[in-house]
Amino acid sequence: MTKGLRKRLRAVFLRRQMERELDDELRFHLEKDIELNMSRGMGEKEARAAALRSFGGVEEVKEESRDLRGVRFLDETWQDIRYGLRMMKKSPAFTAIAVLSLALGIGANTALFSVVDSVLLQKLAVPEPDRLVLFEWQAGKAFRTSGTSGYGAGDIPKGRRGSSSFNHGIYEAMLAQEGTPVTDLFAFAALWQANVSVDGRADVSDVQLVSGRYFAGLGVPAALGRTLTDEDNLPNAAPAAVISHAFWQSKLGGDPDVIGKRIDINKVAFTIVGVSPKGFNGTLQIDMYPAASVPLVFESQLSGENMIDGRAGRSGVWFVHVMGRLKPGATREQAVASLAGTFQAKALEIQPPPTRETDVAEIDPKDYPVLMQRSGAQGLTESRRIYSSTLYILMGVVALVLLIACANVANMLLARSASRGTEITLRLAMGAGRWRLVRQLLTESLLLALLGGAVGVLFAIWGTDALAAIGDSGGNVLPEGVTYGLNLRVLLFTVAVSVVTGVLFGLAPALRSTRLDLTSAMKEGSRGTAGIARSRLSKTLVVSQVAMSLLLLFGAGLFLRTVYNLQSVELGFDQENLLVFTLRPGKAGYETDRLHEFYRTVFERIEATPGVAAATYCRVPLVANNTFDSGVLLPGETPQSGEEHLTNLQIVRENFFETMGIPLLAGRGFTDLDVEGSQPVAVVSEKFARDYFPEGNVLGQRVGFDEKSLGKYEIVGVVRDTKYNSLREDIAPIFYTSARQETDNIGTMYFAVRTNGDPTAFAPIARKIVNGVDSELPVTDVMTQEARSARTVAEERVFAQMLTFFGALAVLLAAIGLYGVMSYSVAQRTNEIGIRMALGAETGGVLRMVVAQGLKFAIIGLVIGSIATFALTRFIEGQLYGVTASDPLTFAVVGVLLLAVALVACWIPAMRAARVDPMVALRTE
Amino acid sequence: MKTIQTDLLQGTLDLLVLKTLQSGPRHGWDISQRINQVSEDVLRIGQGSLYPALHRLEDKGWIDAEWGASENNRRAKFYRLTASGRKRLAEQTVIWQRFAAAVALILKTV
Repeated sequence: MTKGLRKRLRAVFLRRQMERELDDELRFHLEKDIELNMSRGMGEKEARAAALRSFGGVEEVKEESRDLRGVRFLDETWQDIRYGLRMMKKSPAFTAIAVLSLALGIGANTALFSVVDSVLLQKLAVPEPDRLVLFEWQAGKAFRTSGTSGYGAGDIPKGRRGSSSFNHGIYEAMLAQEGTPVTDLFAFAALWQANVSVDGRADVSDVQLVSGRYFAGLGVPAALGRTLTDEDNLPNAAPAAVISHAFWQSKLGGDPDVIGKRIDINKVAFTIVGVSPKGFNGTLQIDMYPAASVPLVFESQLSGENMIDGRAGRSGVWFVHVMGRLKPGATREQAVASLAGTFQAKALEIQPPPTRETDVAEIDPKDYPVLMQRSGAQGLTESRRIYSSTLYILMGVVALVLLIACANVANMLLARSASRGTEITLRLAMGAGRWRLVRQLLTESLLLALLGGAVGVLFAIWGTDALAAIGDSGGNVLPEGVTYGLNLRVLLFTVAVSVVTGVLFGLAPALRSTRLDLTSAMKEGSRGTAGIARSRLSKTLVVSQVAMSLLLLFGAGLFLRTVYNLQSVELGFDQENLLVFTLRPGKAGYETDRLHEFYRTVFERIEATPGVAAATYCRVPLVANNTFDSGVLLPGETPQSGEEHLTNLQIVRENFFETMGIPLLAGRGFTDLDVEGSQPVAVVSEKFARDYFPEGNVLGQRVGFDEKSLGKYEIVGVVRDTKYNSLREDIAPIFYTSARQETDNIGTMYFAVRTNGDPTAFAPIARKIVNGVDSELPVTDVMTQEARSARTVAEERVFAQMLTFFGALAVLLAAIGLYGVMSYSVAQRTNEIGIRMALGAETGGVLRMVVAQGLKFAIIGLVIGSIATFALTRFIEGQLYGVTASDPLTFAVVGVLLLAVALVACWIPAMRAARVDPMVALRTE
Repeated sequence: MKTIQTDLLQGTLDLLVLKTLQSGPRHGWDISQRINQVSEDVLRIGQGSLYPALHRLEDKGWIDAEWGASENNRRAKFYRLTASGRKRLAEQTVIWQRFAAAVALILKTV
């Protein structure tokens, strides 16, 4: 077998040598014959003539011997490739347009696939990632946990709840279970936005808390120093941290003497004992890059929450993720089966005291929590799954673009095959096999496609940079901080797409152009049935191009309107000239009086700065996809009897309403008399007042949140509604309290500074002021409120931009296609038009006739496209705002636009038709 | 006796070539002469059949080719039986003999 292959390859690459050998062998034979003849007494000349006669056709023998080398296929393919390259060189304009449109299509697909590869396919950089199992759980809604931290796990059936976060006690019970098919069970959790400081330079970073077997279980060694072990997780262990390779490089300059250095995380001093290897970014969500891994045992010191053991009287928070490495050959199902009992028993045991009437005993067994699993090969996947919906929509868009490019190139090939008709007919007439010709035409298509793919890779490099920039610009369209490489898998995808593309656009034209009625085609081939069949195919292609363009343009229109609607939405506050930034003194150890003092100092210094019109601060940044909410207990309600009245919460400085331009509608706002010790007061939004006190008696009412704070807050004022979380949300109730009266929940505050001039100019001044108060406190998320609001519509904006760009491209390609078809049709009908004109047809009439024919294709395309559009746009219904997925106005605008483009595309061929000279036209008959 | 044109069954020519090579390597011309001679001029193999057959057999791996020097020191391509060629020869010989016997039997009785 390999010998055969070697021989074949030798035959292809050492073609000349093989030919020579064949010559030599035959010549030798001939000479031996001559010798024999001479030995029988013939003269030399006679002997040669006789030998040649008996030998037969030398070339024939050679040809037959060659066929038997089994190389004809490769040989011919090589021939086809060279021929194809020659054809491409012969018509550079055709080649350039074809390659360029294919490159755009393939490049867009490659770029997006490299994102899909990184976001959805890539596995953790650990040995044998497929042996990792990540545990999850699901339960009926009646099962309540004492607070969960983390994402809700995706794809949970309606009426159930679930998560990949576990209570620490459950993790310990699972760890203690013996005889499981898991070699290492370990836990980890995120410590979001920690204050990380080395050498006096502070920054905000995510950190991960890990159990002792974390690194051993994953099989991740230290790149430098050591990893964390069980000893580091003992209650009295010295605080040890393993920093990430990226953090080591960026913040410590890759210092080789980093081991033993001190790193402060939320004011807890850790010693760096190791550096994790490059490419290992922990096991948290895809867009989280924990700067360091620290032992789980330090959780309460770091978070100040005591999530492991829970606060007084409550069991711990469900916040750790549990993963395990399967023994060789074991399955994840076996792992779940062996741990399910332990999990359920422990979960029911620690289930918190019933907040309402529900008790463990009253939970229906079908609502009991059950242990589940998924592959741990990618770490936590909730975030990946969130991005996947965006990616699927974008994949759909770029696939459509590629289809349009295919249709366009197929059409160009058809038009060209018309001009090559005579060549093909001739070859068929001379006995070339049809399959052989199809093969040759397909080889040309594949060459075009592969060339398009190669250029497409260049586009893709540019495209992935653009996509990475979209991710880094915030707004959660795509993950932040991911670099998209063109790895082997991506390049294989490109090659596969190119080949499929080549066959897709090449096959129909190849089959069509070789199905010729020989005799009629030989007669100049202008009006053979094949010509009609060919133009029917190319008309179909044009119609489908128009249809696909409509789909893209309509989508673009919907998203443009969505973005416009969102941006002109009534915010309820004035966001002009407003700079916002975040301070987290709570994470730097500030508490109670010191905390209030800190905020007061920073505020006073900012307000005293020239150019500042006003300043304030609040707990929740406005319109930043940030939510802090709770159920509220109205007068007379208790936790047991109360219905759920949900409200957004906001803690503000007393001048918040004036500064933000939120008008007071009734009662009073906060004053500097509302301080700790005085009666806690609250201001509510219009919506809150309307929803919860429909009789209009909201002022003076007393409300609370739980048993402890029943009737604690007196409502003293009502302000106008504002957007809270995002531009898209419906107006929801807001409950404002005064920062001066709060002790909890004020460790992080968002400052808002209204400037007289350009707010961004104030950013460095703000940093200087904060540094002057505390040099180790980072100032983060500095941006204008307008930029922050715009971020919440980033995804819609990206869709709008992409669809507009590709939609415009599609229309351009469709216009070229329509122009080509109409030109061809006019050229074919020259005689007919000539006759019409000779019989008295007006120029205008001819013009109208041609344009009408072209518009007919456009209209058929629009009709088909609108059917496809209404079938497909419901998938994006959820992403739209203020416009329905079948918006007639958008549809009308897009339709008219496409018809206008079609009209322009038909006009030039129509003019050409109208200028036909009847005499000339008739003479060509 | 008249010369039989060797538009024989393809397998027959292959068998003859293989048999001829059983006694040792030969070049193409030698093979045709040998068949010619052994069959007492009854079977004459044309070059048009011989060389394609040789390449076919080589392709199947039943024979091997190598350039060497001929009797009078000229460059010639020598063909040699391979192990699988030897096996093939043995099989085909049995098949051929049974086939020939069967044909003979029919010709005798009918």
